Amino acid sequence: MASASRARRRAKALPFLLLAPALLLLAGMLYPFGLGAYYSLTNYWLQYPNRFRFIGFDNYVNLMGEPLFARALEFTLGFTLAAVVVQVGLGLAVALLLHGRLPGRAVIRALMILPLMIPPVITALMWKIMMASTEAGILNHLLSFLGIAPVNWFGSINGSIVSVLIIDTWGNLPFVALILLGALQALPTEPYEAARVDGAGPFDTFRYVTLPLLSPFIVLVVMFRAMDSLRIFDVIYATTQGGPNDATTNLHIMAYQYGFQWYQMGKGMAQSIILLLLVVIVSFLLIRLWNRASERTSH
Amino acid sequence: MRALPPWLRRLRGLGIALAATLLLAWTVFPFFWILLTSLKSPSEMMAIPPSLVFTPTLDNYAALVMGEQRGQYASSRPDFPLFFVNSLIISIGAVVLSMLAGIPAAYALARFDFPLKNTLAFVFMSFRFVPFIAFVIPLYLIYQRVGLYNTHIGLILAYQLITLPFTIWMLRSFFMEIPQEIQEAATIDGCGWLGVLTRVILPLSLPGIAVTVILGFMFCWNAFNYPLMLAGRQTFPVTVGAIQFISYEQVLWGQMAAATIVAALPQLLLSLMVQKYIVRGLTMGAVR
Repeated sequence: MASASRARRRAKALPFLLLAPALLLLAGMLYPFGLGAYYSLTNYWLQYPNRFRFIGFDNYVNLMGEPLFARALEFTLGFTLAAVVVQVGLGLAVALLLHGRLPGRAVIRALMILPLMIPPVITALMWKIMMASTEAGILNHLLSFLGIAPVNWFGSINGSIVSVLIIDTWGNLPFVALILLGALQALPTEPYEAARVDGAGPFDTFRYVTLPLLSPFIVLVVMFRAMDSLRIFDVIYATTQGGPNDATTNLHIMAYQYGFQWYQMGKGMAQSIILLLLVVIVSFLLIRLWNRASERTSH
Repeated sequence: MRALPPWLRRLRGLGIALAATLLLAWTVFPFFWILLTSLKSPSEMMAIPPSLVFTPTLDNYAALVMGEQRGQYASSRPDFPLFFVNSLIISIGAVVLSMLAGIPAAYALARFDFPLKNTLAFVFMSFRFVPFIAFVIPLYLIYQRVGLYNTHIGLILAYQLITLPFTIWMLRSFFMEIPQEIQEAATIDGCGWLGVLTRVILPLSLPGIAVTVILGFMFCWNAFNYPLMLAGRQTFPVTVGAIQFISYEQVLWGQMAAATIVAALPQLLLSLMVQKYIVRGLTMGAVR
């Protein structure tokens, strides 16, 4: 009997035994984060380690009072909104295009995903080369055929914002398109037959059949794209570095600047945690929206 | 659907063809142009308007590999081959470690019931959405103290933030696809948990494991911000290496173009192998 209960206890312990190496690594991830969270409540400044002192929420309060913080928050949210709208809108269009009958569809699909697979920082450098601001830049040269004067891509405020948006869209449009294409191809056929019997035209069919059926997937891609856009770093770092005049400084770049340009680790961590909270709040809202959207379609 | 009148149908066909052409141009042109740029000499690079026809040269690649001082081709960064090897070491190391820890963990999460199971799975998932800077600031300080800064081991450990949650969720989704009955049959035949894992789960999910390894490797290869802060010149991967061609004085456009081609090439080749699983990988198994 004793051995039976020992066997049962061992069976209970087994999953945790299997998880042990992963949990060890998880602890290795959570420890620095916990330490960082503590630093966010201190005035830790790498250049003045002797002044190290616990200061409560001063970093948070001070950050929120800074003019740059308000601008960075505004850019973070504005950029996320723009990126999501542009990428999900275009991605849906691409998905619909590839869902229809199209010669060479397999080839187009295979080529289309390539931007998604290369490092984002490499994507940024590729566009940096094409977006050279003089007339030697190929993009400005191509635009000149449309009668558009050379754009100062990374030197002007609007130019740099648009540049970052274009580069991020080039890299992530395939992600949206692939998910929505997969969803389109898995849609049930009955609602379409019903719509045809009712004599619905292509636009009505799209508006009243396709879009509602697609909505959980649209919310899903919005969620993934919003999470990634709120945290965008590589592309901005490799192109504008947050400039000109802080026009493309988001919360992530600002946290990096505090941490690794001014070595104010406490303040940088406070900024990181504010960004983390923003991501958590937005993801929470989107998960609720997703639950509602998938409930609606399952009825 | 009502039949469209012929002229409208033709217009629609034309619109579709135009849209497909635009999509292709938008996707392929940057690759084409960067490849072209990487084959240009510095004087060709500055041509106005940009030249399409020119005598191609491999000087940029030569400078990348050998880092020779050759007049105006001088590469101030002779260590790109080292960066390439670094990328390989760190990415392979990170994937191997994630696999060793991830396979048993995914098995436990897919096949056992225990308290806090879903919470734990969610905790692992949440790393997908965390801003890297929240980890890299404390990691930088810790690494400086314990001597992991600018080491391959340090980077392999930091990369677990990328690969471990991904590996666990991907493998879990593949393991859960294996019918429970097969596992039960093996148990009746006298297989313990280890036998079930090594004789049933692993062989049956071999394609899934291969996909997880390849995608995990690709995500590591793409990583930029962790090594930017935690690596030094001896351990830079290609992503950080490529940005070194930008300095205060000048940008070495040709070499940077060559570097981006070299950095992107393994990804382009690998992506052909995992085409069908890319969405699944990027959503950590959430979308099939």
